[in-house]
Amino acid sequence: MPKPDLREATSAYEPLLPIEKKLIGWSLGAGLALLALLVVVNHFVPLN
Amino acid sequence: MSEATLPLRAAAPPRFSEDLVAVGLGLVVFLLALGSLAGADALGWLVTTSVWTNPSLALAPVSKAYANLGGAGSLLATYVVLTAVLSAAAYLLRDDVKRFAVAFTGVFVIAYASWFIGSWAYLAAVTRADQAKFGVSWSLKLTNEGGYIVALLAGLVIANAFPAFAERLRSAVRPELYIKIAIVILGAFIAVTMASKLTLASSLMLRGLAAIVEAYLIYWPIVYLIARKGFGFSREWAAPLASGVSICGVAAAIATGGAIRARPQVPILVSSLVVVFAVIEVLILPFIAQTFMSREPLVAAAWMGLAVKTDGAALAAGGITQSLIQAKTAAEGIAYQPGWMLTVTATVKVFIDVFIGVWAFILAYIWTNHINPRAGAQKARLGEIWERFPKFILGFVATFLITLALALGTTAGSSGQLTAAVGEANVLRVIFFVLTFFSIGVMSNFRQLWQEGFGKLAAVYLVSLFGFVVWVGFVISWLFFAGVKPPLAS
Repeated sequence: MPKPDLREATSAYEPLLPIEKKLIGWSLGAGLALLALLVVVNHFVPLN
Repeated sequence: MSEATLPLRAAAPPRFSEDLVAVGLGLVVFLLALGSLAGADALGWLVTTSVWTNPSLALAPVSKAYANLGGAGSLLATYVVLTAVLSAAAYLLRDDVKRFAVAFTGVFVIAYASWFIGSWAYLAAVTRADQAKFGVSWSLKLTNEGGYIVALLAGLVIANAFPAFAERLRSAVRPELYIKIAIVILGAFIAVTMASKLTLASSLMLRGLAAIVEAYLIYWPIVYLIARKGFGFSREWAAPLASGVSICGVAAAIATGGAIRARPQVPILVSSLVVVFAVIEVLILPFIAQTFMSREPLVAAAWMGLAVKTDGAALAAGGITQSLIQAKTAAEGIAYQPGWMLTVTATVKVFIDVFIGVWAFILAYIWTNHINPRAGAQKARLGEIWERFPKFILGFVATFLITLALALGTTAGSSGQLTAAVGEANVLRVIFFVLTFFSIGVMSNFRQLWQEGFGKLAAVYLVSLFGFVVWVGFVISWLFFAGVKPPLAS
């Protein structure tokens, strides 16, 4: 297995695949929705 | 944090994983501490350092029952026992035991000397009353936990100015092992702290969920996108980098590297960057928190857990933040119960750690089935969730639950005994924190940043960390912890 070189990390551009776009989109969407839910829960069950 | 760690040791597989060794050692310390409930003071000989102006009076055994040992005797006993026990751990991890013991001697001497210097009254005295008590006209008011910063700086100096010496210490420079042992012990300390305010404690748990959401579902995709689209990194580099910046640093990068079947060196190079930036964060963020957030101590504590990468650095930053804010508020006449800020930082960090196995499995599934589906290549297995689960968390949960049960089931009198017992274990927790700090410093070779190609990797980290991780972490900490104060000390 060839040893990685930092120079090769960006040498050949790999376009974003649809599955990567899905991963990013779903993660962010789920994250923001869950965060909003937790903010609501936090409002009704505040820390004391 | 997973079982993975920086590959500084021999190639042969260890007899036990680092996580299991850490759990074993942490539980032994915990059980020995509980022995004092049955009248067996098994840890009373451990050395503690008080704030000092006369160095000969600084050291003492933690328990008066061992007063005849004296400060030097207890320091020697602590060194000898730690060297023996950790050398046994090195054997289980298949390290060269002799080399470890020699290197650990150097690590212990410098780390504890740093802690000792940090307790000098000119650095540590907090209030005017303290200054008057020690006869000093000024002090940096770092509290004795400023010793963590001294240890970190000592490590940094050695790593960057004396690389040959750093190499000789290398086999005992094991921040992941030290912090895992400390976290297992910390479970008991947190339980004792939480037992007095169960409602607040249970509410903190709910906030831990927000940390998981933030790290995995908000930070990760944004950093990944920045690395891929903004800087043109390949998938093999972008995924470990996103985990390193977003989750808990070194171990998350390595777990992700394994999950996406990256070449082993990729997450290791990312990890070395994580350590360097964690050091920078530890040296900056606690002081920002003290300056701007002393009125919101729990916001500051949660912020450390969300913003500082690697468990060791995050908990250390939480500890330093706690000390700095308590020092500032004490000067204003407000004395908070110690431990709550560190508890919040640890809760946030532990919650984030727990989810690593699941996240690594999700990435493994996507990579092996959609991104890189090679014929004959091993597909993601559900068992990977357990394999990558950070087992030392189980030790933390065990000491936490046992201590909490004991605390809730005891009378007021025996509660004091339990607090004292856990306090003795906590002395070791502090020593392991100091060892962690020093080790992180020794591993932080800033010259790596000038390696060809490293600049771009560092740029992603810099943009992500200081561009939004730190700020989003602050906003979310504020949303969930603003207005909540730690209980006041009685």
